[in-house]
Amino acid sequence: MEQILLKHTHHGRCLSFEEYRFSGGFEALAKALKDMTPAEVQQDVIDSGLRGRGGAGFPTGKKWSFVPRDLPGPRYLICNCDEMEPGTYKDRVLLERNPHLLVEGMALACYALEVHHAFIFVRYGYEQAAGNLRQSIAAAGRSGFLGDNILGSDFSLELDVHQSAGRYICGEETALINALEGKRANPRAKPPFPAIKGLWGQPTVVNNVETLANIPAIITGGPLLWKNLAATPEAAGTKLFCISGHVVNTNCFELPLGMTLGEIIDGPSGGMRSGSRFKACIPGGAATPYFTEAHLGVPMDFDPVAKAGSRLGTGGIVVFDQNTCMVAVTLNLIRFFARESCGWCTPCREGLPFVRHTLERIEAGRGESNDIDILREHVHMLNYAFCALAPGAMGPVEGLLRLFYDELEAHILEKKCPFKKQ
Amino acid sequence: MPELIIDDIPAHVPEGTNVLEAARSIGITIPHFCWHPALGKAGACRACAVKMLEGPIKGIQMSCMLPAQDGMVVSTTDGEAVAMRRAVIEWLMINHPHDCPVCDEGGECQLQDYTIAGGHSIRRYNGLKRTHVNQYLGEQIEHEMNRCIQCYRCVHFYQEYAGGTDFGVMGRAGSVYFGRQQDGQLESPFSGNLADICPTGVFTDKTARFRARYWDYDMAPSICPGCSLGCNTVPMARYRELLKVTARRNDEVNGWFICDRGRFSNTAVNAPERPRQAQVDDEAVSMDIALDSLIERLTGFLELHGPEGLAIVGSPRMSQEAAIMAARLREVTGAGTLCYFGDVLHAERTLEAVSLLNTDNSTSQEDVRQADLIAIMECDLLTEAPMMALAVRQAWRNGARIFIVGSECRLDSGQQNLYEVGAAVSLAAVPFTEARRPLVICGIRHKGLEAIRDTAQLGVKTSFIMDGPNAFGCAMLALEQGAISFSEALAGGRVKGIISLEADLPPELSPEIRVLAAADWLSTHLTEKAEVVLPVTSWVEMDGTYVNNEGRTQHFKQVMKPGVPIKGLTPELHPPRIHRHDPPGGDILPTEKIISELLERLGAANE
Repeated sequence: MEQILLKHTHHGRCLSFEEYRFSGGFEALAKALKDMTPAEVQQDVIDSGLRGRGGAGFPTGKKWSFVPRDLPGPRYLICNCDEMEPGTYKDRVLLERNPHLLVEGMALACYALEVHHAFIFVRYGYEQAAGNLRQSIAAAGRSGFLGDNILGSDFSLELDVHQSAGRYICGEETALINALEGKRANPRAKPPFPAIKGLWGQPTVVNNVETLANIPAIITGGPLLWKNLAATPEAAGTKLFCISGHVVNTNCFELPLGMTLGEIIDGPSGGMRSGSRFKACIPGGAATPYFTEAHLGVPMDFDPVAKAGSRLGTGGIVVFDQNTCMVAVTLNLIRFFARESCGWCTPCREGLPFVRHTLERIEAGRGESNDIDILREHVHMLNYAFCALAPGAMGPVEGLLRLFYDELEAHILEKKCPFKKQ
Repeated sequence: MPELIIDDIPAHVPEGTNVLEAARSIGITIPHFCWHPALGKAGACRACAVKMLEGPIKGIQMSCMLPAQDGMVVSTTDGEAVAMRRAVIEWLMINHPHDCPVCDEGGECQLQDYTIAGGHSIRRYNGLKRTHVNQYLGEQIEHEMNRCIQCYRCVHFYQEYAGGTDFGVMGRAGSVYFGRQQDGQLESPFSGNLADICPTGVFTDKTARFRARYWDYDMAPSICPGCSLGCNTVPMARYRELLKVTARRNDEVNGWFICDRGRFSNTAVNAPERPRQAQVDDEAVSMDIALDSLIERLTGFLELHGPEGLAIVGSPRMSQEAAIMAARLREVTGAGTLCYFGDVLHAERTLEAVSLLNTDNSTSQEDVRQADLIAIMECDLLTEAPMMALAVRQAWRNGARIFIVGSECRLDSGQQNLYEVGAAVSLAAVPFTEARRPLVICGIRHKGLEAIRDTAQLGVKTSFIMDGPNAFGCAMLALEQGAISFSEALAGGRVKGIISLEADLPPELSPEIRVLAAADWLSTHLTEKAEVVLPVTSWVEMDGTYVNNEGRTQHFKQVMKPGVPIKGLTPELHPPRIHRHDPPGGDILPTEKIISELLERLGAANE
């Protein structure tokens, strides 16, 4: 299994700038600036089939193509490093081991988009990642890979690291733009989309860390070589999967897209812990509906996972064994989302605490039969919230109702949590 | 012009209209909290959900966020849309107190209306409600954060529309808080509008708190007398006491809002020292006797000094009706002088300004909001006409360039928050030719006639900020009737006695000049000096007309019956023990009626 993101990196320490250069770093940028036009770089990204790694899986090249090139004023690229979803820690691993890959990837993306000022929006708690990035940017600047007239070309780029003041909603791209502008991190109405009117009213592309980090490999080896790293013909490239829960190896692995869930759990994750049997998992971060044993054969790629009723999301897999109460799992997730709502729209601000309260009652053995109706209504109505936070938060609740209805009903009928001993 | 169908009714609306407004245009009200016509869309409350059946977008959509487009078929009654709207109300009511009977907003509360209309009646959430600490926001606005439904209208108004910086939104998720960093008086001169735009009882008018329910109010469309702009209001009164003033929408004039000075100015109307009783030589008499006595004194005066010695003195506070009747009184008595203005400079400048204005160059507040370049000339807008400053801010928000000319344009006292300005040395330095809708706002309080003539010669639209709600009307009459200012009349040395009609004259009036009569609703030094005191109605107790600074004639209706407020009555007077047609102090008349009574007594009523 070939790696491109974690290649040459070492567990527990950051690749130095020199090590990165020695291993072929910034050759993609040099190649692009020397031999390729911005349009060709963008075409390579389109051809590679790269899809956004931040959760939604939108084709990256297509997103870039929405940016109008003829508007007056600057365009911006923002790297979304506000990774805060429970179960997801891939960007942190990547940036703590090899921040230079992101810097090069951003330089390439900016070249393709003809952007001259880009920002990296880093989560509040990611001190190490932000420090690494600052050092990498400084080193790249000293070596002529950033700044004015990069490598003698007429392409110039300024790269800034912005450390967030904190909050999960800052990961929503329009809320991120508001936060970067110094406003409250409330999402903006779409349309206009950021590609047309984003940061300070200018066309703006917001891409995830992992998305941008893939671009050097696409340019170096060509789009087809990169696409074929995947395990299935439909999938493209590799993906960082963060494994946690009741498995032997809880770590972040770079794996080909399209490996089945079972292969991931049994292979790199080392299988279930002794005494544990696989019951369910969150397949792609906290905002995705559960997978059960029936889904172990699903290829972990965007479309097959969606077809199976969930979302690949960020690739944060949280595995639960047979002793896990899924009501408690869902309640734990909803507590997070209810706390992290920005408070802008009614369904999210008031609906999520209502769901939390209902689940708390059910888990405590005080649930009533109409509580299930309440959950069901919320799964439906929270789709009409302002942004994707509330519908995402309802993913686990939807999964709970669809896959673990018996367990939910048992809580209500037995007036206690069946998994609690005593 | 998009054509769409809403609940089987076709609607044609201008480009850019949202579906919520389109529905409104054909008489369908979609519930909404965060959307406000003056503040635009927010998409926060999600109460305006409709189902899009056909057209470019399908499914449940928020009607405030969606521009109307050709071919849309909208249902407001679709089951899913109704369920969504009901769910929104249920969510909002999770934390909203269920104590409408002790809430000052009860009866005029949008949340109350939509809760009942939305069909939410059984509470399914049985957890605790979130609670907040209320803040002291000054003596005018009461804060009750527990009632908040987080529609964000208040911050949109306060920060964006009105440029306030001391009030905003804090916190997140279920604990979003709207308030100040710490307790204290709201700094914006437009803060009173929070009470108007809050869809529930978070912000209420503290000055009228718990005094009446909506259905108890005496109210009528009225005009603010606070300055020359003529903002539209709805004053609300009960038991002959003016309780509060709210803004009345007029898109051409004040839009949806009014300033705090206009809103919180009811003390004079309710003042205990206000003249309520006719007096002759400091003795209480009936209105009839007072008028008879005035005729007697007037006849004597005219015999002694001749009509040249008499001055009929009004002021721009008078309604246009009273101002016209004052001219008639002068005609009948043959009085040597008719004055509408006290000060000569004030009179000259106002007359000059009025004669320079015509239908083409006069400027409404809406014109100001739509302008792309504004020069503010010798004028402290926040002092002289606060709503004009708010209109200038709207233009600035839309990209207009603002210039100030002259030394009187202050940029402190909050003005610096409203708009950014470039200073110009003179009007000639303002680049009017670069703009498509330029205009000048010119004060007349400070600098001489030159500035006014310069302003008009530019050939751009002009707004003069005058003094008094009917300054324009009085100036027109003064031009027609040859009225002069009182200071000029004094300088002429002819004036031996005056009849004051709501006049404002300097207190150092020579004791040799007899104040034969003073008709006023305010207690002034003239009512103290007058031989005959004739109490008259204030603007809320009568019908009348003001002509505002752009020459716009606006009618105001009687809000309440005149009389001493019940609150001010001593136990001897209330409850009443004798039968009478008028309440105590209720037999007073508008100034023009007083004059016509006089004319009748002079035998000139029917001429």
